[in-house]
Amino acid sequence: MRPLVAPTAVSGAPPMQRLAFFEREGPFGYALVLPAILYLTAFIAYPFAMSIWLSMTDASAGASKWNYIGLDNYSKVESWELIANDFVIFDGDKAEAQRIADQHKDEGKVVTAPDGDRFKASLQIGSHTIPVVETNGEDDATYLATTILNDLDWQVHGGKVVAHAADSPISFGTFEKRGDANDARKKSVLVDSTTHLKANGTGVQQDPNFLLAVKNTLKYTFGTELVKLFFGIPCALLLYKKFRGRQLLRGLLVIPWVIPIAISGQAWLWILDSTYSVINWLLVHAGIISPANIFNFRGDANLAMFSLVVVNVWRGFPFTTIVILAGLTSIPDEIIERARLDGANALQRFWYVMAPMVRPILMVSLLFSVVFSFTDFNTIWIITRGGPYDQTQVLSTYAYQVGVNAGYLGKGAAISLFLFPIMVVTVFGMLQWLRRENM
Amino acid sequence: MADVVLDKVVKKFGETEVVAGIDLTVRDREFCILVGPSGCGKTTTLRMIAGLEDVTAGDIRIAGETVTFKPPRDRDIAMVFQSYALYPHMTVRKNLAFALELRRVPKAEINKRISEVAEIIGLTPLLDRKPRQLSGGQRQRVAVGAALVRQSGVLLFDEPLSNLDAKLRVHMRVELKRLHQQIKSTMVYVTHDQVEAMTMGDRIVIMNAGKIIQVGSAMEVYERPATRFVAGFIGTPPMNFFEGEIRNGGIALGGDVQVALPRAVEAGRKVTLGVRPEHISLHAGKPHAAKVPSTVEVLEPLGNRTIVTARSPAGVLQIEAEANPGLKPGDAIELWFDMSRAHLFDQASECAL
Ligand SMILES: Nc1ncnc2c1ncn2[C@@H]1O[C@H](COP(=O)(O)OP(=O)(O)OP(=O)(O)O)[C@@H](O)[C@H]1O
Ligand SMILES: [Mg+2]
Repeated sequence: MRPLVAPTAVSGAPPMQRLAFFEREGPFGYALVLPAILYLTAFIAYPFAMSIWLSMTDASAGASKWNYIGLDNYSKVESWELIANDFVIFDGDKAEAQRIADQHKDEGKVVTAPDGDRFKASLQIGSHTIPVVETNGEDDATYLATTILNDLDWQVHGGKVVAHAADSPISFGTFEKRGDANDARKKSVLVDSTTHLKANGTGVQQDPNFLLAVKNTLKYTFGTELVKLFFGIPCALLLYKKFRGRQLLRGLLVIPWVIPIAISGQAWLWILDSTYSVINWLLVHAGIISPANIFNFRGDANLAMFSLVVVNVWRGFPFTTIVILAGLTSIPDEIIERARLDGANALQRFWYVMAPMVRPILMVSLLFSVVFSFTDFNTIWIITRGGPYDQTQVLSTYAYQVGVNAGYLGKGAAISLFLFPIMVVTVFGMLQWLRRENM
Repeated sequence: MADVVLDKVVKKFGETEVVAGIDLTVRDREFCILVGPSGCGKTTTLRMIAGLEDVTAGDIRIAGETVTFKPPRDRDIAMVFQSYALYPHMTVRKNLAFALELRRVPKAEINKRISEVAEIIGLTPLLDRKPRQLSGGQRQRVAVGAALVRQSGVLLFDEPLSNLDAKLRVHMRVELKRLHQQIKSTMVYVTHDQVEAMTMGDRIVIMNAGKIIQVGSAMEVYERPATRFVAGFIGTPPMNFFEGEIRNGGIALGGDVQVALPRAVEAGRKVTLGVRPEHISLHAGKPHAAKVPSTVEVLEPLGNRTIVTARSPAGVLQIEAEANPGLKPGDAIELWFDMSRAHLFDQASECAL
């Protein structure tokens, strides 16, 4: 065989002949990676670049022309809304506070009077006159003060009377400039309260459903990962032990992982059905709940999220278990035996010896399944479609909803790209940790 | 006092009997070597002493106390594994400290013991490294160190040197022997290397097929092997064996070779004659020397001597000759067996006669 790398010429020796084309490593190497490069370009790099471009246009389905709009899809504030809640009406004597809270509905009334070029509304309750709101318009002031008086929940905390809006906080007006909104914040509310400025606009960051989707994605991902570890570790330890039927059990374990979710999802739909749910049936027949109180798994926002996590755990925890199991089996027997001789009991062997040795591989598996859950679309789409009322929408389903179903391609791209920086930071952090661990 | 007593210990894996009822007493502070061919049950025996393998039948006593059913951690035993079994995620220092921390030895005492041991086996500069940053020889020393800090009554070694290169092995042999003189532990050392067995221990226990064949000092097993197996196992080059029959006060070997015997054995008995290579000479002159004509086949000069492989009518044999015997392959020679040093074994029982 001819050497593939030409040796440096020794004086006197004839110069090395140039290698024939087919014997050089370079071209062959490129030929081998060419399909991969083509694939990556066509199916990853191009769509990725395309979606970055899309997210910066006003592209929508049916539009003949896309206009560049910068980062407006990500964030575009059109107005600022002053929101306030928890108005402190009275702070003083305890008994007096209680009396005010008890009687404000019957005794209280709103008095509005001009104050310079503005109007000030006060609440009159018994002997107290409490200025609460000041606005430019007389009706506005009266309306806001009346709302505080009649529609809010007046609670007593010690000597304080606090008017609290349970459902939606009170809007004190919408302003084009942030500065105006801040001004109003100082001038309009005359009692202690919690205020904040809400940005209204057309960017996804101003979309409350988007913010909910971000929250849901995090809940879904980290809820799932924690539960997976919680079940995966004991399960792996169980299968690590030698017993009859271990191989069979290992085989059965991976079933949830290998069944396509499109199929197992149908079973779950039935399990979680609002009328025919087998869980409800069991609970009712066991006498634990009454037929009137059956769970509406996919109809209640919290239950729906919980159900999604359950399905994802069911699907993903075999993988976690197998990876941990692989980590455990790769620990040489002699190390465990030495730990026994060293005096470690089962718990200490796990904690001081096995866990640290499994940790790197566990992190790799965690990395994979975090990415998997974070970008999961199928499970949510099949089980809840993001419902009820978008309450279980995650980033991927919401991007699809907005980008494809509603046809706002640019916005959809912006939603799905929001995942990207979060993902990069998470993955980078985990890899960094792994590298340090392996030093 | 930490003597180890095995009392009719049997170990079966399923139906196969791996250790077939062995009796052995390792005295306090003794350096005892278990040696035998691969698969003879040495490791299994050692693991039973450690408590890593349960005993099918029989009893194990350490320091007079029956430990047969005690877990490893209650046996006052430390072990050096063949693969060293260092905790890869711990530094050398932590590897040494681990067992002591589990036993709640005070911190100051742990540090003191670690620095003592590190000094003895030259680990001091390596204490803050992880095992993967060490060479094979250094890892081996860490494994020994981790066993030493325990200051346990009994130290077990399972072929601790077999992963080292030849030179390091010779060095560690001497170090371990020196170590044994410094510490108070009883040592049981498993090897299948007969040079290690001969040079290191106070006593050698020779095992074969799950049984103990012979126990004795190096010189005892060398000079008076109890069976043909021991005779062939101990000594390099190995002893030469010839099948024969007692006839006319001597032995009739194959190819009509007749050698005289210095002692009387009943006639007609089928025996195996064993002669060590160093007891066969190229020159006549010794009393009780028996002449065997042969042809030189191979010469292996070792510098200080030469191993000569020759073919005689009784069979192929090896002898140890001086450095320059002046021979070449094909030479016809006369070999003289020193019959006063020869061994006789019964062919049926393989026991020494
Ligand atoms: N867990 C086990 N199950 C079944 N058979 C075993 C087991 N462990 C060992 N054996 C068998 O027991 C016999 C003795 O094994 P052991 O490990 O004690 O040999 P050894 O003398 O240490 O050999 P070596 O010099 O090769 O290490 C071997 O035949 C081996 O195949
Ligand atoms: Mg062994």
